[in-house]
Amino acid sequence: MRLQEIADKLELEKLTPVFDKEVTGVYISDMVSDVIANAKAGNLLVTVQVHSNALAAANLVDICGIIVAQGKRPADDVLKMAAKAEISIFSTALNRWQVATKLYETGIR
Amino acid sequence: MGAEDPGGCFPTPSGERGKEGRQEEGSDSMQGDSTRPRYELTDIEPGYVIIEREMYSHAARSYFSAEPVPPKEPYREGSKVWSFWEMAQSFRFSVRDHLTGAKVAFNEMLGLLYYACASKDSDLYRIGELAAESKISIYVAITYEAPDGSRLEMPIEKLVVLNQAFNERLTTKDKKILILPDTFGLYKELSYGQIMLDFGLTAMEEKS
Repeated sequence: MRLQEIADKLELEKLTPVFDKEVTGVYISDMVSDVIANAKAGNLLVTVQVHSNALAAANLVDICGIIVAQGKRPADDVLKMAAKAEISIFSTALNRWQVATKLYETGIR
Repeated sequence: MGAEDPGGCFPTPSGERGKEGRQEEGSDSMQGDSTRPRYELTDIEPGYVIIEREMYSHAARSYFSAEPVPPKEPYREGSKVWSFWEMAQSFRFSVRDHLTGAKVAFNEMLGLLYYACASKDSDLYRIGELAAESKISIYVAITYEAPDGSRLEMPIEKLVVLNQAFNERLTTKDKKILILPDTFGLYKELSYGQIMLDFGLTAMEEKS
């Protein structure tokens, strides 16, 4: 499934341009070290972490996009960094569990 | 404690540098498998980056602790007294080459710095911006401090392995990762918060 389709189905707020990539899976974490060690390329990251280092870690392992849960919003400079790295960032008021549930319902495994 | 070799991987005499932290695995691992990546992060050991400060000079240094409860007691080292200042969750790891069976430990690495997290006035940032235009993401490997305040060296041979390990995982077309040694001397002006470490989640949330 593509990122744009997921964004539409979950009614995510787009904080960056959408770089429409194939989503290979989902990784849920708020830890930079965890993302580096365990996330896979093409994963969609669900997090509440909005620090620039979260974006740095996502870029390092080639995360396809980031859903920031619980209504959190990265600072503008982080969004600019993400756009430059061609990583889409979305925001939602849902919590991580709700996001995970909805992603599962869309068919992402 | 803090004076010990962080991760047990001080640079060895120059002739040995290319081999430090490297060990050969059994011959069965050398057969390779065309379906799996050549390089794999292995021996991932969670722990803490402990940052300590010297009581009188206020010098700071860091080391890795895999202890479940990181040490926080002050201790004396000659005329200096070091005490716990801050800590961040992290991990240390090795990279295993499935083709040769070699395993390279990266115990001297404190963390990676993404160019965009560096000062906009820095050479790293300017180079990073230039490289980003070619879809190359620049990171700098920051190493732990040696007891004399200098930085542990990371041999180029190890950086080659690290770069290959991360680039091999990429799936985005034309994207490249380039991890550089700290030839910029960034460690002299960096704050630990700029490095990719897990300080308290609340502390990591940037003020918008």
